[in-house]
Amino acid sequence: MIAMLKYAVLGLVALLMLLPFADMFIGALRGPDDVFATPPNYFPTDPQWNIYARVFDELPMGRWFFNSIVVTTTITALQVATSTMAGYALAKYDFAGRDGVFRLVIGAQMFPFFLFIIPIFFLLRFVPLAGGNGLTEFGGSGLLGTYAALVLPFVVTWYGVFLMRQFFVTVPDDIIEAARLDGASEFLIFRAVVLPQVGPALWTLTLFAFVYHWNEFIWTMTITRSAPELQTLPVGIFLLEDQFNTLDQKSLQQAALAVSVAPVMILFLLVQKQFHAASGAGTR
Amino acid sequence: MSRSVDERGPGAPRLAPWLFLSPLIVFAAIFLILPLGFSLYLTFTRWNPLGAPRWVGLRQFEYLFTRDAAFWDTLQNTFVVAGGLIFIGMPLSLMLAAIFARSRGRTVWRSIFYLPQVTNIVAIAYIWQFLLDDRYGLVNRGLGLIGLAGPDWLTDGTWAMVSVVVVMIWYELGKNMLVFLAAIDGLDPQIYEAAVLDGASGPRIFRSITVPMIRPAMIFVTVTSFITGMGWFALILAMTGGGPRGATDVTALYMYDMAFQDLRMGRASAAAMILFAIIAVIAVVQFRLLRERAT
Repeated sequence: MIAMLKYAVLGLVALLMLLPFADMFIGALRGPDDVFATPPNYFPTDPQWNIYARVFDELPMGRWFFNSIVVTTTITALQVATSTMAGYALAKYDFAGRDGVFRLVIGAQMFPFFLFIIPIFFLLRFVPLAGGNGLTEFGGSGLLGTYAALVLPFVVTWYGVFLMRQFFVTVPDDIIEAARLDGASEFLIFRAVVLPQVGPALWTLTLFAFVYHWNEFIWTMTITRSAPELQTLPVGIFLLEDQFNTLDQKSLQQAALAVSVAPVMILFLLVQKQFHAASGAGTR
Repeated sequence: MSRSVDERGPGAPRLAPWLFLSPLIVFAAIFLILPLGFSLYLTFTRWNPLGAPRWVGLRQFEYLFTRDAAFWDTLQNTFVVAGGLIFIGMPLSLMLAAIFARSRGRTVWRSIFYLPQVTNIVAIAYIWQFLLDDRYGLVNRGLGLIGLAGPDWLTDGTWAMVSVVVVMIWYELGKNMLVFLAAIDGLDPQIYEAAVLDGASGPRIFRSITVPMIRPAMIFVTVTSFITGMGWFALILAMTGGGPRGATDVTALYMYDMAFQDLRMGRASAAAMILFAIIAVIAVVQFRLLRERAT
């Protein structure tokens, strides 16, 4: 009896989680006949599967997709590189200033993102000799109209550095010493000896960074509001809001959203083990 | 763990750690220290970015605190959102984790509950706009089927706030549940066995054993829910834009619009700094209080 109740609760919550997504996929397939019927049909009478071709024809979907992939993979690659390098230095070297840097990594995580939006926006705009700026004269747009503006503020993830440091600490010192005695360079030791030891952690970091930046919204919107050629999927769909005002355009919007959601959702379902390995890492 | 310099083999690396850290150091200088300093400076200025910042001392703070009623309204809304996440969202995710902890098919449940977390926030916002549509949304259609007239979820001020909080809880539920789940999984099963032998009931075990033992996870979820609820405005921006008539406008969103619509960079920076100060102070107090109660 209690067991049944338990699964009833889990089932109900699962339904509440899935129903909104189902609503989106169903809505995308409604045609004009369904939308303009009185009352409108909930389930499409004649599912419009070609909607998924139409979103690519009628919206700059290809451009957004391309931008999402370029920006997300670039940021992910850079974050993995900087997190592993810094995490390794903090875990496996003994040097004056190490504790200070570690405190910086912990402390930096305390600042919420909204504090940085205004100052970083203008720092990028005032980069000398970029986007029409002179060496001392800043009438241009700096880096604002470029991919760099989307990528640079995310080159380092403080949490990622912390996470990798925690994993590197568990790598035995002996194998590092042995490689050093064999005359390997410090970078070779890092790349060929130590990195392979933390493979699962690397995947976890990669996945988290990828999903986070595929979905990133506020910063990208702030930068690309006036640069449509740089917009990513979520931002492009959001800023085209006005185009979806008529009733029969709603299904187009829902289909576009479905396309924006699908890649990470599929990725997540394929590799969810790595995801969940990390989700408890903050508390244990 | 590491050895002193003398014990190291040939080519004892002194420079290597700093080379590995160099991207981080450069990044910290340009994208952490410099912006924070710039931001702090801006709070003392009036700046429409077409001209140069003009020093006005504490006038922006004075304006926000004494003359800007909307600012106080947004602070109140901010606390409502954060309070909803802590006092409704956290207990729900804890209960769900407790039910979940000893059930079958965990992988499947877990993926389903975590799904919102991997979805972009624009999709979340619009999905819920469709669901909550006054006339044709699934929610009011469903309520209609059982003879209830659903409210205007997004066009009535009070209901819009309810909607925002509900969607945030829905979005965060799976994440917080997994934190609790990790904590519950880490408990020693022998304690439970002893409690069962002593004849303790399920709810009693949950209240007297599980909850006290997973205190670190509760502190973690409380403090992170608070920080998220106070500073995260992406969902609200995309879902209601702060409306109707400011009913769901939170301070972070107010700050953002002040900067990028009204072009008041000085005042917006001051608002951001005030919000940050409030979050920092309360988060530290929360952390201290919760930890003291545990010992």
